[in-house]
Amino acid sequence: MNARRGNHLVRVLRGVQIVVLMVVLFAPIAWMILSSFKDRVAITQYPPQLWFTPTLENYRQLFVRTDFLDNTLNSFYVAAGSTLLGLLLAVPAAFAISWHRLMWPATLTLFARMAPGTLFLLPWFIMFSNIGLSGTHAALIITHAVITLPIALWTMLPHFDGLPRELTESAQIDGCSSLQILLRIALPVVMPGLIVATILSFIFSWNYFLFALVLSGIDSKTAIVASFNFIGEGVTNWGTLMAAATVIALPPIILTFLIQRRLVSGLSFGAVKG
Amino acid sequence: MSRATAAQRVASLQWMVWPAVAFVAVMVIFPFGYAFWLSLFDVKIGQTRAFVGIGNYNALVGDEQFWNGLRLTFILYLGALLIQLVLGVALGLLLNRIEVAKGLIRTVLVSPFMLPPVVVGMMSIVVLDPGMGVANYLLKSAHLPTSLFLASTDFVIFTVIMIDTWQWAPFVALIVLGGLQSLPTRVFEAADIDGAVGWRRFVYITLPLLGPTIVTAAVLRSVDLLRFFDVIYITTQGGPGFASSTLNIYAYRKGFEFSDIGYAAALMITLSTIVFAAVLVFAQLRRKVAW
Repeated sequence: MNARRGNHLVRVLRGVQIVVLMVVLFAPIAWMILSSFKDRVAITQYPPQLWFTPTLENYRQLFVRTDFLDNTLNSFYVAAGSTLLGLLLAVPAAFAISWHRLMWPATLTLFARMAPGTLFLLPWFIMFSNIGLSGTHAALIITHAVITLPIALWTMLPHFDGLPRELTESAQIDGCSSLQILLRIALPVVMPGLIVATILSFIFSWNYFLFALVLSGIDSKTAIVASFNFIGEGVTNWGTLMAAATVIALPPIILTFLIQRRLVSGLSFGAVKG
Repeated sequence: MSRATAAQRVASLQWMVWPAVAFVAVMVIFPFGYAFWLSLFDVKIGQTRAFVGIGNYNALVGDEQFWNGLRLTFILYLGALLIQLVLGVALGLLLNRIEVAKGLIRTVLVSPFMLPPVVVGMMSIVVLDPGMGVANYLLKSAHLPTSLFLASTDFVIFTVIMIDTWQWAPFVALIVLGGLQSLPTRVFEAADIDGAVGWRRFVYITLPLLGPTIVTAAVLRSVDLLRFFDVIYITTQGGPGFASSTLNIYAYRKGFEFSDIGYAAALMITLSTIVFAAVLVFAQLRRKVAW
């Protein structure tokens, strides 16, 4: 009887811990979203208000008074373009690496993951200026592919490893070219992996700050760099800033819902099975 | 037909590796070499570059801000890594015992580390504002001391550690949870029979078995923490003064704000060496804790 009561207490304590954890993790996000609906007066009120009359004024300011809509579109082009480029390079490579058990090309891509982005920026800045690509979407798509390539490659590897060798062998005996084998035989089987690779690549390219900070021009400025500039210029109040943050946060949060269970293994470069 | 003969007949797929390898060579390996090359020169905008050999590296040794950056990089790295690993293991153990609302809990756990770092930075600016922020309001209401957080010279780096822990401790927790769920149950049954319970069971059984998982999490966090940039640059740009100018921030400011390109390259090469060294150390450690 006593033991059972003890068990019950442990459970309640665990429940309390979990609730506290959830509040700590979610409260700042909720505060950001709430603040984005506060008007100029409510946002600076002290003590901070939990109840207020919500307004869409911040979002209107953001999209009407600034170029944020264009910036968001730029972010979208760059994320989509670099995801596509990353997949085009990574998927065939992952297929061949898995088939021939070549580890060195996979290890090579980890360099891109480990070196500080600032290291590449100086040479890139000089390289892109020399060939006249500085400030273009293309420069951002190419540089963001340095982020998406290793993510896509390492996400696809275990999926290709799980492919029965007989499948590829018999297709080759039937006279399929290697590209046909990849596109018609292998890819349909590893489709779940391809979806995860696509979503992770998109999120990480979307979220990336540093390369666009230096390499984007007026016409290619991403939403993330634009909102960073809002902080410095002081042209916007906190409400508008939080509206920008909420808009930027939406795509990754929505996409994350789709692949939650595979997220952690995808982020750990094959080191964690999940 | 044996596999060997089938494999002989089939064409090689190796060419499929080359586009990716060529891309990495042009975009990663070449810039790395180029940055090293630049680090051997005195390069400033509007001046002819002059070869100085290891001059830039020699200058590092005498640069107070370099040592400051190195110190801050290691405080941030070791502080955040330790806190996140301890919290991550504790949370992983807790999550492993939870049987309800798993989907909801997982959703909340992944949200922080899927947010763009820029969003986390902007959120921190608003929540942690010394005057009007909700964090200080809550501290005051609970009769706890308030803080200047990001505006405090002494406390700024710990604030950054706190922010990063909020974002990434859940990631470590999920890795640990995955590790716990893949442990052989036989071991725990045997431990139950031997009467190993509570703390002893954790220290002598669970923790050693989790070793490889913890090292994996440590490697992943190390790479990000040593290169930490976004949240600091967005919230403080390395300030107040140089109080949050980690090596990466200092290198960026030298290169892109002061256009001292050769010197910035030397800083970045030094930082990259530290990151690679950390990864190699953990790779060795991973071998030691394997079971």
